[in-house]
Amino acid sequence: MDIDHDTLVAFSKSWGLLYLIAFAVAVTLYAFWPSNRERFRDAKKRILEGDDRP
Amino acid sequence: MAELFHRKIERTAIGFVLAIIAAASVGGIVEIAPLFTIHQTVEDAPDMRLYTPLELAGRDIYVREGCYACHSQMIRTLRDEVERYGPYSLAVESKYDHPMLWGSKRTGPDLARVGDKYSDLWQVAHLTNPRSVVPESNMPSYAFLARTPLQTDDLRLRLAAQRDVGVPYTDDMIRNAAQDAYGQATPDSDYASGVTQRYGEATQVRAFDGVTTELTEMDALVAYLQILGRLTDAAYKHTAAPQKPPEPVK
Amino acid sequence: MIKQLTSSERQGAAVLLGLLAAIGVLMAALGRTGPFGIHGLIVILFALALLFPVLSTFYEPEPDPERLTYYYDDPIKAGIVLTMAWAVFGMFMGVWVAAQLAWPNLAFDAAWSTFGRLRPTHTTGVIFGFGGNALISTSLYVVQRTSRARLAGQLSPWFVLMGYNLFCILAVTGYFMGVTQSKEYAEPEWYADLWLVIVWVSYFILYIRTLARRKEPHIYVANWYYMAFILVVAVLHIVNNIAVPISWGSAKSYTVWAGVQDAMVQWWYGHNAVAFFLTSGFLGMLYYFLPVRAQRPIFSYRLSILSFWGITFFYMWVGSHHLHYTALPHWVQNLGMTFSVMLLVPSWASAGNALLTLNGAWHRVRDDATLRFMMVAAVFYGLSTFEGSFLAIRPVNALSHYTDWTVAHVHAGVLGWVALITFGSIYTLVPSLWKRERMYSPVLVEVHFWLAIAGTLVYVFAMWNSGIIQGLMWRTYTADGTLAYSFVDSLVAMYPYYIARTFGGFLFLLGTLVGCYNIWMTVRAAPATAGRRLDVPEPDGAGMAPSPAE
Repeated sequence: MDIDHDTLVAFSKSWGLLYLIAFAVAVTLYAFWPSNRERFRDAKKRILEGDDRP
Repeated sequence: MAELFHRKIERTAIGFVLAIIAAASVGGIVEIAPLFTIHQTVEDAPDMRLYTPLELAGRDIYVREGCYACHSQMIRTLRDEVERYGPYSLAVESKYDHPMLWGSKRTGPDLARVGDKYSDLWQVAHLTNPRSVVPESNMPSYAFLARTPLQTDDLRLRLAAQRDVGVPYTDDMIRNAAQDAYGQATPDSDYASGVTQRYGEATQVRAFDGVTTELTEMDALVAYLQILGRLTDAAYKHTAAPQKPPEPVK
Repeated sequence: MIKQLTSSERQGAAVLLGLLAAIGVLMAALGRTGPFGIHGLIVILFALALLFPVLSTFYEPEPDPERLTYYYDDPIKAGIVLTMAWAVFGMFMGVWVAAQLAWPNLAFDAAWSTFGRLRPTHTTGVIFGFGGNALISTSLYVVQRTSRARLAGQLSPWFVLMGYNLFCILAVTGYFMGVTQSKEYAEPEWYADLWLVIVWVSYFILYIRTLARRKEPHIYVANWYYMAFILVVAVLHIVNNIAVPISWGSAKSYTVWAGVQDAMVQWWYGHNAVAFFLTSGFLGMLYYFLPVRAQRPIFSYRLSILSFWGITFFYMWVGSHHLHYTALPHWVQNLGMTFSVMLLVPSWASAGNALLTLNGAWHRVRDDATLRFMMVAAVFYGLSTFEGSFLAIRPVNALSHYTDWTVAHVHAGVLGWVALITFGSIYTLVPSLWKRERMYSPVLVEVHFWLAIAGTLVYVFAMWNSGIIQGLMWRTYTADGTLAYSFVDSLVAMYPYYIARTFGGFLFLLGTLVGCYNIWMTVRAAPATAGRRLDVPEPDGAGMAPSPAE
């Protein structure tokens, strides 16, 4: 098959869009997953504690 | 699912690394790879000719001096640009340009079609002291080019390296690179005929800096400037409103 | 500092420097009197200059084994000094080239001092010299603190830092001699590029090994940004710089890419140098030093994750907006434009996240110039990402491209965002590294802040004006339908702005010099804090739950 302009446009409007949405959904799920809440809160607070000791 | 997956890749920093590369490379691959496979990207131009050794040396001086920082070589598809500079640039016109010199800033005007727009005399005077011909100019003086002899002993290597990256120089061209550079700027010499024989009848053979006794960097740079936009006539044929290329000024 | 290395590490350093000197000798032999040979000589001198302190402490007693339980900050201290040195050099060259555009005779009729050769010394000096050293030093600081682990190597941090600076020196000295690939922001020639690959791989290994030693269960988000910076810059650098040298004894090479493909590869590189060098890495700085200085956790950790993946994914698509209306196929231009506009979402998420972190601490922003540096940096980040998305829209780009508007946009980003976040971070870092209560003079930090702000605003407004005037003059038609202005007319209109921008740049440079003095006095003069706890490491297994990384 010859790859030309139209093939690419069709591909990006179907699979490309799907990929983009799937990627966004995965990242959002991770960021808002309830069991991650605790880890994130911990992570954002811990950089403020005692940075003079490893 | 997504959450478990992310936790896993994050735990092993290597997985995290792969995820970053995967997310980041898609854009580049999708935009760059098809440029090589879609044949419409670069137009056909059977009359396209190669840079002669002297012009290539001039181009390398253009690169060395950073001329691209102030001068573009890419006329956009906009009415005012076409009226100011000439037909808009086609991809094929920089097909043999390693690297391309499209530029990104116009502190000075576009040079994509500056070839044959001014006489050699004007170019030399302008490069020597820009303000002698354009009083308002803020371009630096390049008087040292006329004082510097052109180095021709590595031209053979330059042409060979250009062939390695895809420019179709022949063995004959590479072997005679230094002589051709000399011949192109010295029309009375024995080497002059070889240049037109190898690079075509339209090749400009003359003393570009007005001095025949010595081959200088000024010769090379002016020879390059005078060929800009004239490697092919494709731009004058493909565009919506065909124009005739300007008559060469001697 | 070398006393902190064991004798076998000192031997290792001596061997490495001996090898480097040998490479220099080889280069000098192959290149003879050409630029390649001169670079060989510079490599030899660089190796000898470092060999001297190594050998003079060679037989000193072994260091205290206790040191391994501390954070490893010696290379970071050197990195901060180098950062400021490059800032002064790069900004001085910037002022000089700016002045040359207004007064062209400032090139003094020599070859090495023409605008074309000096301009990359400015861009490389500030982006790679100043920015790169700041990124390397802060990243090594942040990765240790957020992982609660010492750097995974004694010699490799020095190798990374010094190797990187050798690359910068080769780059800048090359430009004076006319050694350049002409690819903007990737001007160094093939041998310097190869050397950078070696340095960068060691940097990556050092970083990831330190992360693997972490005692925290979670990798803090600042490290994600630093990782993306290290990784993607490696990919970009390698792809854009593939070239064939004309011989092994010459500095000259030709890129394998040609014409339209070269243009796309170059701006894919060029814009992502902005994205992953000048944005991602500095966001890492923002996400660590802003919360630490404000003593408040980041407003939303989740938002920082979302913007991380958004930036990492979207940025790689936008390079083609540098090539609107050119011979690049239309579909690539459209992709670049679309993603540039979408990029505004994660960019503003980061800027908003930073500003909302300060909500409730505005009195600190008022009183503390260091925190104000970071706050204003976040504002400029928001402004210039908006401007970037705007300029990437094709019809806007028709006016702005090739003009000083692009220059205004870049400097709003690098002066307002990159330099200010760096100075804010450095003013936080320096007292912490050298164990001082605070900077030598808070008043001088304040002076630096206002000089930097004034300089940035004068510069950016001058270039906005000149860029828009230029763009409009080029496309103005008379009633008869002919172009109203010649190119020279538009150049004449630029002169007042070129003088104004030189002045703006000068103010910014002045601020940097004030900063250097303040840092120097902090290190030299201020007494060590008595009460501050020493950098004692956490004993293994104490405190934290066992981490999955170990």
